[in-house]
Amino acid sequence: MTVNELKEKLDLKPLVEDDYDREVTDCYVGDLLSWVMGRAPADSAWLTVMGNINSIAVATLADCACILADCACIILVENAALDDNAREKADMHGVNILTTPMNSYKLAVEISKLI
Amino acid sequence: MRELSLNVMDVAQNSVRAQASLIRIDVTESDREDNLTISISDNGCGMTDEQVQQVIDPFFTTRTTRKVGLGVPLFKLSAEQTGGSFEIRSKVGEGTVTTASYVKSSVDMTPLGDINSTVKILIQCNPDIDFVFFHSTDTGSFTLDTRELREVLEGVSLDSPSVLEWIGDFLEENTQNIYGGALS
Repeated sequence: MTVNELKEKLDLKPLVEDDYDREVTDCYVGDLLSWVMGRAPADSAWLTVMGNINSIAVATLADCACILADCACIILVENAALDDNAREKADMHGVNILTTPMNSYKLAVEISKLI
Repeated sequence: MRELSLNVMDVAQNSVRAQASLIRIDVTESDREDNLTISISDNGCGMTDEQVQQVIDPFFTTRTTRKVGLGVPLFKLSAEQTGGSFEIRSKVGEGTVTTASYVKSSVDMTPLGDINSTVKILIQCNPDIDFVFFHSTDTGSFTLDTRELREVLEGVSLDSPSVLEWIGDFLEENTQNIYGGALS
């Protein structure tokens, strides 16, 4: 399942588009960034309400080590806001971001049916 | 981080890397003023204004050296998400003061956590560096100063088991006192 297919099937609103052809193979839910950093699987859709610059950094830490997340996309749930400087950095570093009014639980349930 | 004491550990390790010989950790809590402030001061090599901006920016740090990483940005976030504030003051050749101030009653307040273990581990892992730890509440305060301990110890290293045990007991006892006798 690609980011684009998730977007179409779950009616997600695109906020930052870098590479929506990227494959999503897993899903992770979490808002405590230091926790997510060590645990989110690579190529996952990361569901969070944290739309700040640090979230973008967490999502791009792929080159660091395998224990750090390299997420396929961030999905901001419950229409959580994306900060302006976070949007800027996401554009710069190629982080896919989408948003939905659904909460994490409902979205994760839907994603589990698709991947 | 799940506990602020882990942020303290992270920043203090930056001080160690900055070749500090004295690191001061202040934790002042007040329910009356609805505030908790953590300050870590060192006499290490210090930073230029530009470097200070860089350690606050998660991208700069993750893209070049891994020395600071997301530690400082997440510490800053933890304070700001409670409605508090965060500041780094630094001067090259003099040292650095990192201060995080929290609105204690905020629902997004991260618990302080096991600050005593953090202090003890810092002393244990860096027996040649001096540490001053000050902790206060509305009830009272106490200070642990390894410079004073050294005078009494006459050459016995701070990382010897009996000294560490004494430090642990001292911290625990005094913490109970400033929390009004109840465990935190």
